Amino acid sequence: MKLFFSVLFLFTCTFANAEDAAIRQDVESVKQSVLELNTDLYQLEKDLLSPATTRAAFHLSLSHGEYFEPLSIELSVDGESQIQHIYTERQVKALRMGAVQPLGNVNLSPGKHTVRAVVRGVDHLGQGRELIAEDIVEKTSKPLLTELVIQDFVERQSARVQLKYW
Amino acid sequence: MEFVVRYLLLILLALPASALETLKPGDKVDDFTMLSVNGFGQRLTEVRGQPLMLIWLDRCDACSETLARYQLLAESLEIDGLLGWFVWVPEGDDEPPKMRLPVLRYDTKWRQSWLFEPRPAVMLISPDGVLDHLIIGDLEESYGEVEAAMMRWISEVRDQ
Repeated sequence: MKLFFSVLFLFTCTFANAEDAAIRQDVESVKQSVLELNTDLYQLEKDLLSPATTRAAFHLSLSHGEYFEPLSIELSVDGESQIQHIYTERQVKALRMGAVQPLGNVNLSPGKHTVRAVVRGVDHLGQGRELIAEDIVEKTSKPLLTELVIQDFVERQSARVQLKYW
Repeated sequence: MEFVVRYLLLILLALPASALETLKPGDKVDDFTMLSVNGFGQRLTEVRGQPLMLIWLDRCDACSETLARYQLLAESLEIDGLLGWFVWVPEGDDEPPKMRLPVLRYDTKWRQSWLFEPRPAVMLISPDGVLDHLIIGDLEESYGEVEAAMMRWISEVRDQ
């Protein structure tokens, strides 16, 4: 009788061990799958957000600024507002002294995009003015570096804003 | 009873975090930038190092007369480095007050803006950006309280 129970116990233990080993193997396999999935997701994220492929950087400069002082800027890409900035007196002084302001970075997929910048400010007579630059930019796999340049338009005693590419 | 408690908890959870947060004296004031109706925009961190009186207006349609005393108070203490800003929240066809001090315009469109509730209110913000005094209530009625607090506060700031 004792022998019977001993054999039964050993058999149960062996069977349980074999089952445990199978479960452990399954767990390891799942862990491996999760790690692989994580690596794939990381790669996908890198591909989607890689600065080299999607980075578009926008800057702003003010050339002379006799006929226009900026108070704010709004930049939209494909109709979606992306960058906003309100200028303080100190910032405009820095721009007048030649500073180039990094406005911000936008993620753009390769292809054509409509960029629209609206700069609100005042002219040399203290009247409210709005300068608009609209352009279609082509984003390639290389980073896109652009500069919005506010320039005096002396002939018209006015100013204009243009999008330039570095 | 249990249902009521559950319902109240749900409501509390549904409230945005900002609604539960109230700025109180001793708190650091977060940075903000707002357009001004009478000049360049203003940014809080740019004036660190100077005491600031920030006056939040309630409904104001060309309410310059109501604010004249506050403007004079701020200007009389300019020698102590005091700055004074009004924050105007336009409604309908309201006209902004015509002031010599900056009148900031709150507009939801600008993400850098900040709206404080309840209004009207007067904030005295220390040179290191801490809210030292907060006086809430009608601006005409609370002028005396603001002036008294200001005089004590500015002498403390001067001594620091």
